[in-house]
Amino acid sequence: MTAQTETAAPPRTPHRIPLWANPRIGLVVLLVVLVVLFSVLRPAFLNTRLTLTPLQSDISVYLVVGLAQLSVLSLGHMNMAVGRMAATSAFTMGLVHDKLGAGLVLSLLAGLAAGALLGALAGLIISRTGVNSFVVTLAMDFALAGLITILYTGVTGGVAFPTMPAAMTSLRFDTFADYCLGDVCGPRVPLVVPFAVLAALLVGLLFRYSRLGREILMTGASPRAAELSGIPTKTRIVQAHALSGLLAALAGFLLAANNGAFSASVGDSFLLPSFLAPVLGGTLLVGGAVSVLGAVLGATLTQVIYKGLNLLQFQLDELQLYIGLVLLAALSLDRARHVLAQRRGSRP
Amino acid sequence: MLTAENLVKTFPGVRALDGASLTLHPGSVHALLGENGAGKSTLVKLLTGVYRPDGGRITQDGQELHFGGPLDAQRAGIGVVHQERNLIPAFTVAENIVLHHLPSRAGWLDRRRMRAEARRCLELLEVELDPDTPVARLSVAQGQLVEIAKALSLDSTVLLLDEPTASLTGDEADRLFTVVRRLRDSGHAVVLVSHKLEEVFAVADTVTVLRDGRSVAEAAPLADFTQGQIVDLMVGRAFASVRLAERTVDEQAPPALQLKDVSTALGHREVSLAVRPGEILGLYGLVGAGRSELAKAVLGLERITGGTVEVHGRPARIRSVGEALHRHRLGYVTEDRKNEGLFLEQPVSRNIAVTVWRRLARAGLVSDRRERDLAETYAQRLGIRIATPRQPAGELSGGNQQKVSLAKWLAAECDILIVDEPTVGIDVRTKAAFHELIAGLAADGLALLLISSDLPETVVLADRIAVMSDLRIVGELDNDHDYQRMSQQIIRLIHAETHVEGGVSAA
Amino acid sequence: MTLTAASRATLPGRHLWRTPEFTLGVIAVAGFLALAVATGGNLLSAGTLGAFFRFLAVPIVIGLSQMVVLAVGQMNLSVGALTGFCAMASAWLMLEAGLPAPLAVLAALLLGLAVGVGNGALVVLTRINGFIVTLATMTIIQGLRYGVNGPDTYQGYSAGLREFGRASILGLPAVFLVAVAVAVLVALFFGRTVTGRQLLASGGSPFAARLSGISHDRSLIIAHGLSGLLAGVAAVLTVAASGSVNATIGDDLLLPSFAAPIIGGVALAGGMVSVTGTLLAAFLIRLVDVMQAQFGINPRWVDLIIGAVVLGAVLLGTVRAKLQERST
Repeated sequence: MTAQTETAAPPRTPHRIPLWANPRIGLVVLLVVLVVLFSVLRPAFLNTRLTLTPLQSDISVYLVVGLAQLSVLSLGHMNMAVGRMAATSAFTMGLVHDKLGAGLVLSLLAGLAAGALLGALAGLIISRTGVNSFVVTLAMDFALAGLITILYTGVTGGVAFPTMPAAMTSLRFDTFADYCLGDVCGPRVPLVVPFAVLAALLVGLLFRYSRLGREILMTGASPRAAELSGIPTKTRIVQAHALSGLLAALAGFLLAANNGAFSASVGDSFLLPSFLAPVLGGTLLVGGAVSVLGAVLGATLTQVIYKGLNLLQFQLDELQLYIGLVLLAALSLDRARHVLAQRRGSRP
Repeated sequence: MLTAENLVKTFPGVRALDGASLTLHPGSVHALLGENGAGKSTLVKLLTGVYRPDGGRITQDGQELHFGGPLDAQRAGIGVVHQERNLIPAFTVAENIVLHHLPSRAGWLDRRRMRAEARRCLELLEVELDPDTPVARLSVAQGQLVEIAKALSLDSTVLLLDEPTASLTGDEADRLFTVVRRLRDSGHAVVLVSHKLEEVFAVADTVTVLRDGRSVAEAAPLADFTQGQIVDLMVGRAFASVRLAERTVDEQAPPALQLKDVSTALGHREVSLAVRPGEILGLYGLVGAGRSELAKAVLGLERITGGTVEVHGRPARIRSVGEALHRHRLGYVTEDRKNEGLFLEQPVSRNIAVTVWRRLARAGLVSDRRERDLAETYAQRLGIRIATPRQPAGELSGGNQQKVSLAKWLAAECDILIVDEPTVGIDVRTKAAFHELIAGLAADGLALLLISSDLPETVVLADRIAVMSDLRIVGELDNDHDYQRMSQQIIRLIHAETHVEGGVSAA
Repeated sequence: MTLTAASRATLPGRHLWRTPEFTLGVIAVAGFLALAVATGGNLLSAGTLGAFFRFLAVPIVIGLSQMVVLAVGQMNLSVGALTGFCAMASAWLMLEAGLPAPLAVLAALLLGLAVGVGNGALVVLTRINGFIVTLATMTIIQGLRYGVNGPDTYQGYSAGLREFGRASILGLPAVFLVAVAVAVLVALFFGRTVTGRQLLASGGSPFAARLSGISHDRSLIIAHGLSGLLAGVAAVLTVAASGSVNATIGDDLLLPSFAAPIIGGVALAGGMVSVTGTLLAAFLIRLVDVMQAQFGINPRWVDLIIGAVVLGAVLLGTVRAKLQERST
């Protein structure tokens, strides 16, 4: 009996260049091109006080928003309620400060806890019932929208809290340049930036090196295989969604700091950017792989586009058009990338 | 009429078909037999246009056929009824039967013509079914008949039935075979792809046996063979007489894993078995006997309704694979490695380390290097051929993938392993290497529960063999590794079981 | 054997009382009567009743617009924005381009159809999930919608159209009757036409449908196109009934477009539709709206409850599907 032989040739050597490097270099190039373009068309773009400093504040907010979505994209899920989770957390922060007289740190912690709880609730519903994350978070978004208005009118009689922790005013207006050691002053970097940077570092560390992050990614890659490999998938789902809620809360905090008040409109414009940043940066929609560096670049690129077009006096609603087109293009690229990844990764 | 000549089909790393031939004549029932991995499903896929052959050809009445896809095969008159239902549950019987060609009158559905056509096809089969019944209301057996009617509506001259009785009761199977005989009598060629020898002998006229991708008997009249001879053809005597290095099992040692009268929500009834450290217990049964489901029940993935599971003498109520792994050092190498055993797009190193991150982690963080070192250790130990541990698992050949699937449990230092169909879809040479691997694990002291529907594999490897049929253990045998004797005993046990159930009687 | 959600689609006659539509119907009638009593019969006066049904027209059509893509297992997030865009375009054609109303109406319908087909084509070509594609196109259309007339409002267009928007036939507003007629057409489409049945087949069992020669891609494009067309219809009804349009039209239509079919029992997985259910659910939502106005309940509570009900309906659907799976 002749044996069917397995091909004796050694398995093919995979591409030396990591598959994910390419989109990021493309983003950097695009970023540089756009900055040059905007600066040429509007020299005010390079004005630190007028443009660059507020731009950094915006990037900080929307980077964290993107990280919030990235946390559940890791599972192949979505969080359609990022905006409202941010708003509800902002409300909690305002409440704790206004009614209990808490300072910055305590308010922030209270808000983060609120966000994490909301996220965990979503994750719990999703993991226990098996209902699509889109539907669960969409319904939650709707319910929270109602809840937020009720809460604000009930507690403040309006749409915003009248006061904020004193420290937040410095967060709003100060940059490191306002703090000097002797003659040496810091750079014109807003105080909110370290929050975003820290968040990015921690999330990056989580998914790159921690056991928890790896198990979440594996759950996203193949929930069945993950369950059968001993990963507590239900718990990981709850944890990833809780992280998403926590980051949404942080984004809400940063936005409130930038705007000067805890108001009901926090998070209104979070949904689209929350997808743009990670997707532009190479995070797959189907789960199993994330790129925090990519999200950073994606958020930067998005805000640069907004800022630049704004300076060129495009109306906000017209901006929508171009952002939508950018998203479509980014998603088509994502699709192409995914098809490539699959072709390399599987055999019949 | 329809012939397949020396079909060859290769996938990366494995030759699924290496000279398979088949001849079908109108007005006959033809059985296609072969072990798991022999190439039956690949052959069916070639005949139904899902794949294109890499060699050989398919001809009909002398004309060579080229299928661009399943629809082409349909047009050539080849109809197929798969194991899974392919019906639209929301639609009626009539709508499903004519789905390929919904009769229309200026865009509006012509219900009268639809019902008439459905009735015509059902009458050909002498099946009584109201064409307006919603398919969702039908039983599996009735759904199957609708699919056959659908194939007739497509003017199929050849009907391929893939494991048709897998989910049918004895009575339903009988009814199906009556229909099959009607099809034969009206001039159709019916191909029965099956594992169940009793049924084959009951209803088929001719048989083709596939082994290792080729036809070892082709369109031979069934009357020329006994069941035993067919089994011989399917497995190849030479292979069955392989013996592995001698192992001794400590008979006095308490069982590492023991099931006492375990019943499950799926219908298992009072299953008892025990595996000692260093022992291989073969759990043999035909496809559908309920063995994988039993394993999943032990792991907490299905509900246990009675009896106890004991690990190292202590009762264990396992609620998840994680609990089985971390608390009891019990691992499960799944049957479906592509969907359940591996993360195809993730690197091999992650696939292997996934069960041991807890151990590898320092302060919650896992270093890539420790992961890779671990992967390389096990790659060497198991002989996994990889270019680098960073390679995605999906790029490996079937045999190497299976080794990766096994490696993660070894890395976790499990001392009890349930191995489910480890060599399905793997070629013979790698199979032999696997068997040595598994025997080696037992020699190292692991307790192994080997679930297999590969009889020679079971006889080669197991120290004892438990035979499962229809969700129950029907017998347990000590294995003397004599293939002739063991296979006869086992077949008799299964045979007796189906006869007690009032199953298919020889025609 | 238990009656399943799937079989209801083809056998409305048997076991009528066990269908979700029947339950919805009972709740609807009961609720209506209760409200009539609570308003001291005021609800039944010509003016109030007329207003009740007049503002039911657009939610019905919008719900149908979403239902049509749910049938193939898709979602269309752009329905609201598209309605607004078509409305603005139509008004622009009448006021700036001087087109007569019938042509402007036709243009709105064609625009909706074209965008819908565009959505479907994008989904097919890029193979990206439908709701992400429509999330992107929604944003684009919002930009375009604003681009028509900026922050300004259009009003004072075609007197004839606005008359139609105010008209009543036998006590029921004309726009409502149009919506019902559209619903009947949609029901006939899915129940009686070959294309409609093929669409449902694609949605319910794409693999089995493909084996029968039904192209999944074609089904997607037709479904999205139809959804866009219905959004165009909703736009026309808005232009007629409201008397003035601006760039915010449609922003509050997205969630109701989901709520109606989902509460009406339409599965998110695709393969089944329920026009009756969608109609009844839209009716119920309108009833709740009126109750809220009548009793001065904070509208946000309504939002909260509707969100919870939608979630409940989906959960129920999932449970039902799991039970059906277990019984086969």
